[in-house]
Amino acid sequence: MPRGQKSKLRAREKRRQARAETQGLEVAKSTGAAAGKPSSSVFGDRPENLPAAGTPSTPEAPEGATSGATAAGSGTNPSKNINSPKAGSASSPKGTESSLSEILNNKVVLLVQFLLQKYQKKEPIRKADMLKFVIKQYKNHFNEILKRASDHMELAFGVDLKEVDPTRHCYALVNKLDLTYDSALNEDEHMPKTGILMIVLGVIFMRGNCAPEEAIWEVLNMMGVYADRKHFIYGDPKKVLTEDLVQLKYLEYRQVANSEPPRYEFLWGPRAHAEASKMKVLKFLAKVHDTVPTAFPSWYEEALRDEEERARARAAARAHTAALASVRSRAIASTSSQAN
Amino acid sequence: MQGNTKKMGVMTDVHRRFLQLLMTHGVLEECDIKRLQKHCYKVHDCNATIEKLEDFINNINSVLESLYIEIKKGVTEDDGRPIYALVNLATTSISKMASDFAENELDLFRKALELIIDSDTGFASSTNILNLVDQLKGKKMRKKEAEHVLQKFVQNKWLIEKEGEFTLHGRAILEMDQYIRETYPDAVKVCNICRGLLIQGQSCETCGIRMHLPCVAKYFQASSEPHCPHCNDYWPHEVPEVFNPEKERETGLSRSNKRSSRSRQH
Repeated sequence: MPRGQKSKLRAREKRRQARAETQGLEVAKSTGAAAGKPSSSVFGDRPENLPAAGTPSTPEAPEGATSGATAAGSGTNPSKNINSPKAGSASSPKGTESSLSEILNNKVVLLVQFLLQKYQKKEPIRKADMLKFVIKQYKNHFNEILKRASDHMELAFGVDLKEVDPTRHCYALVNKLDLTYDSALNEDEHMPKTGILMIVLGVIFMRGNCAPEEAIWEVLNMMGVYADRKHFIYGDPKKVLTEDLVQLKYLEYRQVANSEPPRYEFLWGPRAHAEASKMKVLKFLAKVHDTVPTAFPSWYEEALRDEEERARARAAARAHTAALASVRSRAIASTSSQAN
Repeated sequence: MQGNTKKMGVMTDVHRRFLQLLMTHGVLEECDIKRLQKHCYKVHDCNATIEKLEDFINNINSVLESLYIEIKKGVTEDDGRPIYALVNLATTSISKMASDFAENELDLFRKALELIIDSDTGFASSTNILNLVDQLKGKKMRKKEAEHVLQKFVQNKWLIEKEGEFTLHGRAILEMDQYIRETYPDAVKVCNICRGLLIQGQSCETCGIRMHLPCVAKYFQASSEPHCPHCNDYWPHEVPEVFNPEKERETGLSRSNKRSSRSRQH
């Protein structure tokens, strides 16, 4: 009679607990918890394991993962937590020095993963987080680990680690590659669609700020993007335009009034008005056509007018903020003088 | 920075852009990956000959090796399409998902994963998964929410849905192979031919061995009367066709239009 479900689950739990105890684990919090959710760090209670036997060794790797892991149960040897439990042999030919360099290698690997996750989520990178989730007791080696990790990031991914706030020790990962061409990555979290968005915004702009859906597809078809065909960057283009970008408020998609059978049109959404500008879009279009914005005189004029209005709006906003600030500072000054 | 004896490949911006784009997508099919490679060459260096994909990827992997990351190639379990994902070898958890989902959502995935692995068909019904909603760690989740979370998993290519049932996406199988083998050692199924982790497949009714559908296709492609490789009994299931990328291109079918005609056969 096959094992019942409950008994299987119980046995599984027991096995997990047993493994956790014998290894004297430190629950790995680095990559997962780095997202700021400590309890959801890793599935189950496994540590960050670096594979032992299967991987060919380089000086960076824990090359004798076997030599690092000594007798069982020693919770104080941190390298045990990151070495594969399969590492069996007991003797370390190089002694403590090699353990430290192995540990530092492992920390570099873990830090790179941490940075990659932060990069993909566009989250700020704080020194405090790096220390807490990755470096831990090796604070003294922080600079070395960070330097090596950022070298790796630059070499392998073409991404630079820059300290953007020296007082608060905040870092950012800056892409060294120019992304305007593939529009598949960007500072914006929904980047895969940005290139297509700029083109669509351009078409709408050129059609007097409201474009019939057919006109949009005419242009996109020329680029090899079709409503009924999967695209290797944009996925399902029809869905991207009519659903995703609308939900994100970059586009408005509405039925043409009194159209029967129903036809649809696109307009700029409120977020497009906020984040893009007619001039930006015109510049993008000019670049695509290998020319300059002034080559489109009437649109250039309209874009200029739009820029003026935005500048005026910004100035007004600044004046308003400044006025508020001075009122506030006067209030503070008067209360403090009263206190004196 | 290396100074090691093993020859490491050279990374150029072509490779870096490719890596960044692959990272954004999570997982890509072979045809898309080839187009991606072409695109990266075009952006940086129009005139260079495009390196063979396998060499291109091995090149990148040799640089990523010391970081315990690699571009891994796998095959979709239902129709044998080659897929590629950037996989983290340094951990045996499912931590790649951990940054995109909340604690209770991760636990839902874990419960679904467990049901899928324990099942005979490799599929877990939506109902069975949703019934476990009360047992989730973290913030309480209602069934309606859980349905949306399951859809999020599908969108992010961790699960596949077919007729109200869920199984693992090829991406999840690639990323979590080690984790699954270590966490569920007695429930995990393995293909008799390739020895790879098996979630969906066909099984012999006599001796119980299992094979991936694409492995069945390749193994039996030349035989008119298929027999079980283990017990030699007549193989009772329909043998699928071997995946042919050329044929796919000709018909120009988009994946979403093609209905999988293969039923699950266990």
